[in-house]
Amino acid sequence: MIRDITIGQYYPAESPIHRLDARVKIVVTFLFIISLFVVNTFIGYVCVTAILGAVIKVSKVPLKFMLKGLKSIVIIILFTAVINLFLTQGEQVIWEFGFLHLTWEGIYMAVKMCVRLVLLIVGSSVLTLTTTPIQLTDGIEYILRPLKRIGVPAHEIAMMMTIALRFIPTLLDETDKIIKAQQARGADFDTGNLMQKAKSMIPILVPLFISAFRRAEELAMAMEARCYHGDEHRTRMNVMHMESRDYRAVVMTAVYLVFVVALRIAGNYLPFMI
Amino acid sequence: MNKEAMKMVKAKDLTYEYVRVLETDHGTKEEKVAALKNVNIEINKGDFVAVLGHNGSGKSTFAKHINALVQPTGGTLWVDDMDTKNDELVWEIRQTAGMVFQNPDNQLVATVVEEDIAFGPENMGVEPKEIRKRVDEALATVRMSEYATHTPSKLSGGQKQRIAIAGVLAMKPKCIVLDEPTAMLDPVGRRDVMETIERLNREEGITMILITHYMDEAVRADKVFVIDDGDLVMQGTPKEIFSQVETLQKYGLDVPQVTEVAYLLRKEGVELPADILTIEEMVGAICQLKSTT
Amino acid sequence: MSIKINHLTHVYNPGTAFEKVALDDVTLEIQKGEFIGLIGHTGSGKSTLIQHLNGIISPTSGEILLDGENIHKDKTKLKEVRRRIGLAFQYPEYQLFEMTVYKDVAFGPTNLKLTEEEIHHNVVSALETVGISEEIYEKSPFELSGGQKRRVAIAGVLAMNPEVLILDEPTAGLDPRGRDEILQAIKDLHDKRGITVILVSHSMEDVAKLVDRIIVMHRGKAAMQGTPKEIFSHVEELEQMGLAAPQVSYVFAELKKRGYDVPTDVYTVKEAKEVLLKLVKQVKS
Repeated sequence: MIRDITIGQYYPAESPIHRLDARVKIVVTFLFIISLFVVNTFIGYVCVTAILGAVIKVSKVPLKFMLKGLKSIVIIILFTAVINLFLTQGEQVIWEFGFLHLTWEGIYMAVKMCVRLVLLIVGSSVLTLTTTPIQLTDGIEYILRPLKRIGVPAHEIAMMMTIALRFIPTLLDETDKIIKAQQARGADFDTGNLMQKAKSMIPILVPLFISAFRRAEELAMAMEARCYHGDEHRTRMNVMHMESRDYRAVVMTAVYLVFVVALRIAGNYLPFMI
Repeated sequence: MNKEAMKMVKAKDLTYEYVRVLETDHGTKEEKVAALKNVNIEINKGDFVAVLGHNGSGKSTFAKHINALVQPTGGTLWVDDMDTKNDELVWEIRQTAGMVFQNPDNQLVATVVEEDIAFGPENMGVEPKEIRKRVDEALATVRMSEYATHTPSKLSGGQKQRIAIAGVLAMKPKCIVLDEPTAMLDPVGRRDVMETIERLNREEGITMILITHYMDEAVRADKVFVIDDGDLVMQGTPKEIFSQVETLQKYGLDVPQVTEVAYLLRKEGVELPADILTIEEMVGAICQLKSTT
Repeated sequence: MSIKINHLTHVYNPGTAFEKVALDDVTLEIQKGEFIGLIGHTGSGKSTLIQHLNGIISPTSGEILLDGENIHKDKTKLKEVRRRIGLAFQYPEYQLFEMTVYKDVAFGPTNLKLTEEEIHHNVVSALETVGISEEIYEKSPFELSGGQKRRVAIAGVLAMNPEVLILDEPTAGLDPRGRDEILQAIKDLHDKRGITVILVSHSMEDVAKLVDRIIVMHRGKAAMQGTPKEIFSHVEELEQMGLAAPQVSYVFAELKKRGYDVPTDVYTVKEAKEVLLKLVKQVKS
């Protein structure tokens, strides 16, 4: 059933990672993703994986949840692997057929790209699994705030995200109901060609849109009634403030970045480290 | 205290007209519709009043005027002595007279209950520490403290409405306008919401304005106003209003079953008081009849 | 047509942390032409039950027999089952989607691949039954009043010519006038067309006015069954299940408690008046 889809994959637990300021986590995750493209040696990836593993261990989120995020992009990973495997030009050819050729360089590239993708997804999962949606949107609002001067609507973006998160379960429930109601009127969503199937969506989509607009209108009025007028003079109940653990995390990230850059430079001089 | 200062809401010749575009065979035609016509209402501070009327009678439009969501096109409405036409007072008016709407799903903003309750005070620019305090108090008042960190979409309709009430409470209003807050609830939800409304009126002294078409809710109010087709047609205590069974039925409204039974019996010549509203009063009146004969 | 429900059990999300037994071994029988009131508080299983009846959801165990045949036996016949057992969900007006009232009501019969003529006949007859006049046919359903929208939506189910009509809270959110119009239309349907009606409602007053038999759902079980007279004389049991009887039932329960010789199975205003009138006259004479 549609309503079984859970939105926001926050995994509640008591861990130092959970307690970190959301802004710090967002920035660190961003830097981590960049670092994945700085690293280019095999040993480098071993080190990064080990560090990420340690962070996951500290976060107390079972590895199973971390790897769940990979399921949805398995196709992309496989696709990347195949493309790199057969289309990379190289000298150490193992096997050749027409324009397809398997080279040692290709295998190396394929492994490297896959490892990067996996680390990227797992790394971002650490952020979403240890941070509540509301902390996440608040964090984004704070980080984007300096950009307001150049016209980025930081508060509005965050408010939109909050409202979207709030209404996704409601609209999913509604979709479920509408589907059932139209089924009860003999609607058929499963048979027919693509055109017919697309057409059979109209009795679901029209009521859903109308309902979404009605809800939006009512919500806007309710927000106005509660004195909402943008972020002018607006305060927050939970003020984000950096604590010593957050500064420690920043320092550790800096050390990590220096380490990654050092590995890259070392890689240039020590080719045996592949 | 002078007389004016005792009024929470005062409407003088309140009129609201809007233009409706009609599609006819010869293109579109504009038509002026009056949702409220010269309504004069006074609501005392600390009262629990019910505004009754069928759908489309104008009672909802009246409710939105109190919150300055709609401004009069004629006449004046004062909320705690503030003219709702004065744009500078809009935020103060909305803070003084909070509003709870019919659909529990479409008035909660945040994904966490306590964040939602904080929404009003946050908009008002209240200090973070004070917001925290208000949120906790408001949750305790509506008896939902244990749900502070839950997500609203998993709560029942009645619970969501109590969260909506708490969200208004956190703004420290003097008055709460509730626009058919129980219309979409089941009996248990309705009972809980009504209990909350009555308790807030009694214990916190908040003026409650309940817009409804349920007569069993209106009988619990101190005063009842009946709006029909934009006109204020009746006002008085529940006993005064509900004893006029035929008039109410003419306006498309119900009376409690016992009131109707008493009315029918009176028509048959049985000497019963006309203002029976509750089961106890009915049973009492029957026993009285027996002992006097 | 009779509906027989045999040991019906439905479990949501089996095997997960969200596992919930919504129906627990329910056995019921509904005869042709009956007017049934299905009551129970939120979460009692009544919504799950009605969705089983026209095959929108499948049982975890147990079976639903329509004229002796299991509705899930032949999946290709499920569409026919849904035609024969019409289901109007709560707030059915939210499923309206067509440009005109007529087209929306025609959606069901069109899905059944009826001929143009049959469709027209069904649509007109359904709209007539719910009291929607001809000048509204070509209007957009979104321009109508709340009560009218609801009646158009119910007509959309009726136009499929069902033998059984299930209505989930058809009066929710309507004002007294809108409520009376809908209930009158449902009563006419039952009385004139002889359709079997299952009315799901929280309003005991509505149920009391209309139905022949009441089924009370509680915690996934059919806890009580009987005529309104039988059910509403059990005020205390109903209260324990989070339900209530019509207001007049309480008056008679209280009078009985105080030693008056009154029946306790009175539940309508009309009957209450008659009984009390008799009581008063007895006292006087």
